[in-house]
Amino acid sequence: MDSAFIAAFEILSFGAIIVLVVLGLGIIASMMGIFNFAQGEFVLLGAYITYLAFHVGMPVWLGMVAAPFLVGGFGFILERLIIRRFYAAPIVAMLGTYALGLIIRETVRGLIGGQYLSVPEPISGSLDFGTVHVSAWRFVIVIVTILVMVSSYLLLARTTFGLRIRATLENPSLARASGISTNSIYGATFAFGAALAGLAGALLVPVFTLFADLGIRFLIQGFVAVMVGGVGSFAGPIAGAAIIGVLSAALPWIMAPVVADVLVFVLAIIFVKFRPQGLLSGRGV
Amino acid sequence: MSDNRFELNRRRFLGNFAFTTGAIATGVGSWVILPEWANAAQEPIKVGIATDLTGPIAYAGNADANVARMVTKDINDNGGLLGRPIQLFIEDTASNESVAVGNVRKLIQRDRVDVVLGGITSSMRNAIKDPIVTRGRTLYIYPQLYEGKECTKYLFCTGPTPAQQCDEFIPWLIKNGGKRFALPSSNYVWPHTLNVYARKLIEANGGEVVFEEYYPLDQVEFSATVSKIVSNKVDVVFNTVIPPGVGPFFKQLYEAGFLKGGGRLACVYYDENTLNINQPQEIEGLASCLDYFKVLAKTDPVSAKIQAEYDKEYPGKYLFAAGSAATGMYRGLKLWEAAVKEAGKLDRDSVSATLDHAKIAEGPGGPAEMVPGKRHCKMHMYTAVAKNGNYEIVARSEGLVDPKEC
Repeated sequence: MDSAFIAAFEILSFGAIIVLVVLGLGIIASMMGIFNFAQGEFVLLGAYITYLAFHVGMPVWLGMVAAPFLVGGFGFILERLIIRRFYAAPIVAMLGTYALGLIIRETVRGLIGGQYLSVPEPISGSLDFGTVHVSAWRFVIVIVTILVMVSSYLLLARTTFGLRIRATLENPSLARASGISTNSIYGATFAFGAALAGLAGALLVPVFTLFADLGIRFLIQGFVAVMVGGVGSFAGPIAGAAIIGVLSAALPWIMAPVVADVLVFVLAIIFVKFRPQGLLSGRGV
Repeated sequence: MSDNRFELNRRRFLGNFAFTTGAIATGVGSWVILPEWANAAQEPIKVGIATDLTGPIAYAGNADANVARMVTKDINDNGGLLGRPIQLFIEDTASNESVAVGNVRKLIQRDRVDVVLGGITSSMRNAIKDPIVTRGRTLYIYPQLYEGKECTKYLFCTGPTPAQQCDEFIPWLIKNGGKRFALPSSNYVWPHTLNVYARKLIEANGGEVVFEEYYPLDQVEFSATVSKIVSNKVDVVFNTVIPPGVGPFFKQLYEAGFLKGGGRLACVYYDENTLNINQPQEIEGLASCLDYFKVLAKTDPVSAKIQAEYDKEYPGKYLFAAGSAATGMYRGLKLWEAAVKEAGKLDRDSVSATLDHAKIAEGPGGPAEMVPGKRHCKMHMYTAVAKNGNYEIVARSEGLVDPKEC
């Protein structure tokens, strides 16, 4: 019973981590039609900022609060200077963002000397439920993921800003004719997606340690999640992320980990074969 | 109009292409370091270093290159070798075997080096040994701790083997940890081969292997493994999971109360670099067995001198550590120097004949000598335990430990 509870919690928490990483990726993919291959490096930047804060002696949580804002700002500048030139050509956009990611990744690798560095969690130790212990920080990640998910949903579904984003996605010309500046909407959406990645990086760096390939590790899983969940809506990628995250964490409990790793992708391919539009198809929130 | 534009693009493309290939052909990636007193009268001896200056294990490759620079500078400052200066050719193997083979060919064919040292991973050694030894007809020295069984002629290994890392370490673990072992491992050749050796020793010493399991190299989520370790009441986790997985793995073990319950972590590649992967309390008591630890500099004057010289010349993030092959690189260059001195010439057969029994009295961690006919190196071995973010030596070998290879 105890071990079943622990298993459930660990699987849930890894699912939450994947959801957190995919949120920003999904928003940019669904709302802008751009597959941002630099998303993993935005996660890495969030992690690096948190490490920097810790490294210079500031409290870790301060770095975690700053990370989404700084990465969001960085994403905004990138969108202004580079990304917006790619909107007409999605394939070129993939290559372009991949190149951007490569530059960021190798720069960070140089800055940290290719090392693997630990960052302490602001809330350490474990929570005790009777005889079972679960990691306090993973518990925090689950809570924050739920909060971020709900507030992102409310932002997109219930606010005027969200309405403008959706209008821009549905019909850019009509949106422009109705007085919405699609340019600035794209900029803001991209910055928001980047900020979510920064937050994800900041929260998960105490769990996985800081290393240059941190982002790329989650990028592939992220894209599979978006593929399974379906592009075009807010809920699609999240549902996909939950499935992929839970599967990757749960399968090693019942089979050899090397087999489980491959099986997740095989299952995803089979699923997409029979449902190419993804789990939740269609536009909207 | 559109035709014109295509013309322009193609021309621009060709221009860029020519520029790029030109830049690559002239070798922007190569670094040649000439001693200051080199002159035309005495042709320098050419030493090639092929190591991972970029990519995921760049921290180790850069340390190796630094050690090579330091040792050759010392040799040149003391009059060179056979009265000739040493010229160093450093090429990047980039943690990528296909890039590496190309760059190693440059060392052999363009620079015509007399010896190549380098390669860190076993896959890298396997990729570059043929271009160096067989087709290149050049001597090759491999400096990293590895899984053993490399018995190619003209290929000499100066890092520790499984016998050197396990023969004294595993009995120590059984005495200071317990009898029930778990062998969680990354899925590649080094853990597979090392585990075969470790399992035999564990069982011969009255211990038992509770489970042996392999993970994809980039796995970072280990909850299933941790639960298995805790519920099976494992005493010693003999880990061969490599970064990036090892950090999250040790953290999850710590959070599950493995250390609190008296469990012992063991990992034979753990050195000063890897100490930073976790917070000190997460790896408290972790035991490692290597040919050198920085803490030896406190008691051994030779190690202190080498460590101080390295830290002075190359302060910063690339540490002089045994797990990144830095000590093997030092030993390899010095043994080769001794062999060339004895042979008095540089042709491959003469040098490998003398390198076969070369000895050095001074090295990091103590003296070292090649085992004749085996192309592997006898050296001192040390068992160290992590205490509050630093190592303490808890056991050391009586004398030189035999590699038991070939």
